[in-house]
Amino acid sequence: MATTTATITLASTDIADNALNISNTATFYTAGTDTGITETTGLARKKTNSGSNTVLLDSGAGVAADVTADKSAKVYIKNINDRGDGTKYVTILLTAVEIGRLYGGDWMLIPWAGGSGKDIEFTASDTTETTLEYAVFYE
Amino acid sequence: MATTTATLTLASSDLLTDNLSLSSTMNLNKGGTTATGLEQMNYHRAIIPTGTNFDLIPESDALKDNSNYVYIVNKNTDVTDYVTISINNEIIGKLYAGDWAFFPWSCDVSAASNDSTIEIQAYTHEAVVEYALFHIGETLVTATDS
Repeated sequence: MATTTATITLASTDIADNALNISNTATFYTAGTDTGITETTGLARKKTNSGSNTVLLDSGAGVAADVTADKSAKVYIKNINDRGDGTKYVTILLTAVEIGRLYGGDWMLIPWAGGSGKDIEFTASDTTETTLEYAVFYE
Repeated sequence: MATTTATLTLASSDLLTDNLSLSSTMNLNKGGTTATGLEQMNYHRAIIPTGTNFDLIPESDALKDNSNYVYIVNKNTDVTDYVTISINNEIIGKLYAGDWAFFPWSCDVSAASNDSTIEIQAYTHEAVVEYALFHIGETLVTATDS
């Protein structure tokens, strides 16, 4: 087994009267165990200059073939474009369901209950070349 | 405006041949702005009983089509305990004990059939979760006795 950790720190000195400092570390385990996840896609990069809906992770195929609903998987995605004027973003979807918008520099880390048709997709807000970095950690 | 940062560190010394060490920091900004930080947040701690899928963060017109960021952590310690996080009956994934998630939420209320409320269901045992919403706005309800 391997030990892979993900630590998040949310910090602000001025969003509230007192400073905000939330930090948590998760260890990536296989489903329902304390055995570390041993598989990953590694860090990958995807470029697009299309404003059309595009499959980023094809559940049940390719690197995501082993990701199923009863297994543990985590997905990291980052829009590495510059933020610019903040009007350009990539919409991240789970099949047809919109999750949210990654503006330039934004990242996300979510668990992924894969399986047939549970693709992770993205749609850029325009045809500006956009680059996403992503990684899947799975059992 | 406020300045709020979210920093991720992914690390492993034995998942790959070489060390994995990835770090990324972002500012939680309003959509459509160069660098104007979100000014509002909600932070909650809740105990989620098993057996029912609950609305965790309801959709709202005040939140739609902009920048909102959601953080959820499962504070249970039994490794068999988990919660499912879903939107519109589509399960995004399972947060096992100790797991957290952080993601943008655009709160898409434009399609009538596309309920964008974030939902949660606990399995095995009740789950203690903490969650935060950094958001663009809130729909305030006029007091009925005003």
